[in-house]
Amino acid sequence: MAWLHTWAGLVTGWVMFCVFVTGTATYYRSDISLWMRPEVRAAAVEPGVAAERGAAYLKVHAPKAVAWFVSLPQEERPLLDVYWFDSFDTPIKQATLDAGTGQLSTARATQGGDFLYRFHFELQMMPLVGRWIVGASALILLVALVSGIVTHRRIFSDFFTFRRDKSAQRGWLDAHNVTGVLALPFHLMITYTGIVTLAFTLMPWGIASAYRGDELRLFVESGQSPAWRAAAGRPAEGLPLAPLVARAQGEVSEPLEMVIVNNPGDAAATVVAVFEEPKGLAHRHPQVVFDATSGDVITRLGTLKPAAHVFTSFLGLHEAHFAGPALRVLFFLCGVMGSATIATGLVLWAVARAPKAGAAPGFGLRLVRGLNLGTILGLPIGIAAFFLANRLLPVELDARATWEGGVFFGAWGVAALVSLARPHARTWREMGMAAALLFLAVPVVGALTTDRGLDFLGFDAAMVAIGLLLAWGARKVSRYRGPARARAAVPDALARA
Amino acid sequence: MNLAPSMTPSSVLLTLALSFAGLSALCLAMDRHHRAIFLGSPSRRRARALRVAGWCGIGAAFAAAVITADWNFGPVQWFGSLTGAALLVVGLVSYRPRWVRPAALVALPVAAVAAFLA
Amino acid sequence: MPDEAALRTADPGWRLRAAVAGRVALAAFGGYGVAALATAFLSLVLPMARSEAVATATLLSFAILVGAVIWVFSARTLARAALGLAVPGGLLALGLWLALTLVETVPAA
Repeated sequence: MAWLHTWAGLVTGWVMFCVFVTGTATYYRSDISLWMRPEVRAAAVEPGVAAERGAAYLKVHAPKAVAWFVSLPQEERPLLDVYWFDSFDTPIKQATLDAGTGQLSTARATQGGDFLYRFHFELQMMPLVGRWIVGASALILLVALVSGIVTHRRIFSDFFTFRRDKSAQRGWLDAHNVTGVLALPFHLMITYTGIVTLAFTLMPWGIASAYRGDELRLFVESGQSPAWRAAAGRPAEGLPLAPLVARAQGEVSEPLEMVIVNNPGDAAATVVAVFEEPKGLAHRHPQVVFDATSGDVITRLGTLKPAAHVFTSFLGLHEAHFAGPALRVLFFLCGVMGSATIATGLVLWAVARAPKAGAAPGFGLRLVRGLNLGTILGLPIGIAAFFLANRLLPVELDARATWEGGVFFGAWGVAALVSLARPHARTWREMGMAAALLFLAVPVVGALTTDRGLDFLGFDAAMVAIGLLLAWGARKVSRYRGPARARAAVPDALARA
Repeated sequence: MNLAPSMTPSSVLLTLALSFAGLSALCLAMDRHHRAIFLGSPSRRRARALRVAGWCGIGAAFAAAVITADWNFGPVQWFGSLTGAALLVVGLVSYRPRWVRPAALVALPVAAVAAFLA
Repeated sequence: MPDEAALRTADPGWRLRAAVAGRVALAAFGGYGVAALATAFLSLVLPMARSEAVATATLLSFAILVGAVIWVFSARTLARAALGLAVPGGLLALGLWLALTLVETVPAA
């Protein structure tokens, strides 16, 4: 089992490190998005009014669409997002509107926290390819987790043990064990529930055999989405949205999240009011479906059967929308520990295979060292550069949101090339310091380029904390001389990392 | 954001403080850590008392989580708190071993205050 | 489990490499195959509403997959590992074939 743990962990480690880091950041997706759109300030807009503003825009710009989606402004996302399908075979289209005016938002174009969120499960690749890579890696990680538990014979007697004063290998092993064991419930939960979020991509055979070509019916039968009503082919004027929305709000106490218009402008059009998840773990949204022309209620969706409830609870646990600020900090901390477990495991692989003094490392070891460095410090460098690009790229730049992503991958690519070229202890130190400086620069640049004063204190504090942590780590590496007793034998143990 | 009214910072703090006190006691009950902190192995009776106290703390943390954050979120909060508290214990044992006992003793009144607020 | 000491030497030899490659391939394709068959079979035969059966079977499928992979790597020989997947896989395939023929097709929406 030790063999399986080692190799399953190695092959999946680099991808899963990226997935864990960006997933951990995603616990604060809305805070990141708010920071990345400094021009946008919260404005109180009635949901019904906002829905009509969104529909008015869509009526002009997407009159022939088969479905409109108006995502209403929330405190954590004070924008009006509209989406539409021109047909079922074309990709979804999107526009971001100013909630107060209903016109295209003049805020800087950015993907905000959604960039890291999508990277978390698609790696910014073609969705299907990215999801399969992430899903397969997560399955291998689950194998690594189970085989790791079997391998680790002294789980309880070493529970609190971190021997930082023994050999380098011992220190890395203890760090790997401590971060792995202490947050083990989280690691198992987040990996399994993460796989479940991709379940119908990875394992479509259950739904395929039971529904045979009519897969979307599953979500209707389990009470998660209303049945699709085909267009009548006759035009008809729909009722105004605000009164329908108000009636729906009279039935459901949760905040309204989205209004959907299916077959807009058709005699068989429907209006769906989608509410936020009620208190509970499950990721499910109460919905009220109206006939758009008569205003009659067609269906109400709310409760789920047991298995569907468990399924959606897994999704809810993964996303942790239910977590208040204090519990969110604990989730974040667990995510950091997951990232650290993977990073220390990767480093440990290289440390344990260090050649004897004077011998040259082989190609495999050099490659692993380079990939370790290029991932573990390259990704943070990319993220810091992404935040800096948000503040430094001109607001009116064409395809600005794409450029931000380009800076993320560009900075990361440079860091990765440097790492592969010289995977030494000195590079760890220098790149650690570079990453630290980039993170520390974020609040400074933010203060110089915007006039939001102390509005983003939490975000700035997080940047400073991450920067200081990286600087502390880089300093540790540069001062490390090996354990006192073994100092003569191991002149620079970390040179082997 | 749709927060459970009961899932407040004080509820999390209560669970965290009880978990920390319990895990500290369990840590002190282990020979290796006891010797690092008190310069001697614990007597068998002392080790057993610490173990019992530790499990009581963990159990109390679970009860507190379920009472203040109900069955829906309580177990999630309990697991999260155990992880956070255990990380604190490991940090203290590795870097400031002498602080473990006073910190565990301070955690108890903190828990009492948090219980009052939760 | 492949011989760990031999793997660490400079040249593990083609025989060992082939054994490792065989286990990896069996774990990936065989493990996924058994899990996929189990999911399809359970989705049809579990005694609950169709949507519930699919949700239950799909949730279970990943545990089945991980269990199968662990089995492949812990079996004493590659042949035993393959047999351990082939028997349940064959039974599931037979069951699935029966279920597909007997369970009536999807009722119209």
